[in-house]
Amino acid sequence: MIAMGTTIIRLAAILLAVSLTPVLAQKTAAEEPASQEQVQSDVSMREIAIQSNFTGVEILIFGSVDFSDSRTPGEGAYDVIAVVRGPDEPIIVRKKERVAGIWVNGPGKTYGDVPGFYAVLSTRPVRAIASDEALQELGIGLIDLDFGRGTASSTPEQAYRSAMIRLKKEKQLFQEHDDGVTFIGRSLFRGTVALPVNVPTGRYTVDVYLFRDGEVASNSQGSLMVTKAGIEEILYDLAFKYPFIYGLLGVIIAVMCGLVGWFAFRRD
Amino acid sequence: MFYPMIQIYLPIAEISVNLVVMLGLGATVGFLSGMFGVGGGFLLTPLLMLSGIPPAIAVATGANQIVGTSVSGTLAQWRRGNVDLRMGFVLIVGGVAGAVFGVILLKILRELGQAGLMISLTYVAFLGTIGAMMLWESVNAIRRARAGKPLSARRSGQHNWIHGLPFKMRFPHSRLYISTIPPLVIGCVVGLLASFLGVGGGFIMVPALIYLLRMPTNVVVGTSIFQIIFITAIVTLLHATFNYTLDIMLAFLLIIGGVIGGQFGVRAGQKLRGEQLRALLALMVLCVALRILFDLVLTPSDLFSIVPVAGL
Repeated sequence: MIAMGTTIIRLAAILLAVSLTPVLAQKTAAEEPASQEQVQSDVSMREIAIQSNFTGVEILIFGSVDFSDSRTPGEGAYDVIAVVRGPDEPIIVRKKERVAGIWVNGPGKTYGDVPGFYAVLSTRPVRAIASDEALQELGIGLIDLDFGRGTASSTPEQAYRSAMIRLKKEKQLFQEHDDGVTFIGRSLFRGTVALPVNVPTGRYTVDVYLFRDGEVASNSQGSLMVTKAGIEEILYDLAFKYPFIYGLLGVIIAVMCGLVGWFAFRRD
Repeated sequence: MFYPMIQIYLPIAEISVNLVVMLGLGATVGFLSGMFGVGGGFLLTPLLMLSGIPPAIAVATGANQIVGTSVSGTLAQWRRGNVDLRMGFVLIVGGVAGAVFGVILLKILRELGQAGLMISLTYVAFLGTIGAMMLWESVNAIRRARAGKPLSARRSGQHNWIHGLPFKMRFPHSRLYISTIPPLVIGCVVGLLASFLGVGGGFIMVPALIYLLRMPTNVVVGTSIFQIIFITAIVTLLHATFNYTLDIMLAFLLIIGGVIGGQFGVRAGQKLRGEQLRALLALMVLCVALRILFDLVLTPSDLFSIVPVAGL
């Protein structure tokens, strides 16, 4: 309870600062001029560094509804959907087939733009919040996600698509949390999302949509950066920018270890 | 059981592994290779694959690990004067050609999505054959020793078809005057295996030099391990440059474990008899082959797999 209390106080302080200086880093836009309320949001970490001790990280998405006209916390006039999306990358999906008793990868199917990470957090199941059409338009939810043009293949597309979603979910690279966002009081909301150890690097977008009666009342966009840092960054950069030097480094390290081992343990 | 969860993130494999498990894996393979006097790559690379490292990264990193362990081994052999430098260089020339071919082959297979399968199949074929042959030979040797019969002396010094080939060269250290073609071909085959399987190839090199070239046995072991340093170093460089599959962090952990484990392995090996040692090694080799075979034959828990195009 104490921890939660301090979190709320801290959140409130941050939010106060945010609302006093609305130009600070976050773009806020009212979708429809008719509605008054505006949503503001941010993430707890804008820079995530992958170092050698990295085992994943939990980030907090928080925000507030300005000019909220709900009187009690439980009134439920507003819904929030937050979408965290990592950089797109092409993915090959392969299915194993049995050939002469052994399992062999069959012809694969390539999807051009698969988000490296994709998480949807919402106050309620997204389909209860808005219509399928509205969700599809905003690109919310895995079912409606456009993975880019798949390469031509005679095999049924749906099986590959759902297999990819399932595998990405198993790796926690795709996540859907129906109760991932909770309101604290009238206008504050928060949600956490766990980035697993295998998160791809790059710029992530965090879109927060405020829904009222199934319509987007306001939205806010932020971003966060996932980079490798320290020795991980040095090795990764070296391996892909100067692969020959990197390989040479690997050989030199191995030779040195061998020499040290021999001198340390020799008994003659 | 004391099992500290010290996770370490591998920058190229892009997974987090347990530090103690990887050090232990390096030490176990190092111990076994020290005990049996083999490189250990044929155990390390499949074990890395079984523990979730992508096959191509396991191969490149396994090759890098062998560089480290064979340096220690070569120094010991060098001091005993067991390295035929001239033969070593001829083998290396052939090996480079084979290594280049193997790296290109692996790159093509990765793009087709068949790298894991072909590596596994080649392992099953090689480990199965060699394991079965070694087991047969060592069990017979144990039987003969029990029956009290002396080991049959091998005929040597006979001329075979190899001596009819051109481009002859003198190898004073091995007391040989033979064509350079067979060592070049042997080197090439071993180079191909090294780059494709992430092994040193000693299990092919040693019998080939003894039975085909009729080199003196003591020089064979030293020369084989000497050329393995260069072949695996070149394989490491080629894989790093063309396939981006070397994980230095992982290789470092394996080498540290391997160098330490190897020292204890040598001591343990001195307490066991030769044919018992060979029978044990043969059983282990067969077990690894069977394990890989099961993975190929048993219905996988998931028929689908995904792989990023960029990470090919």
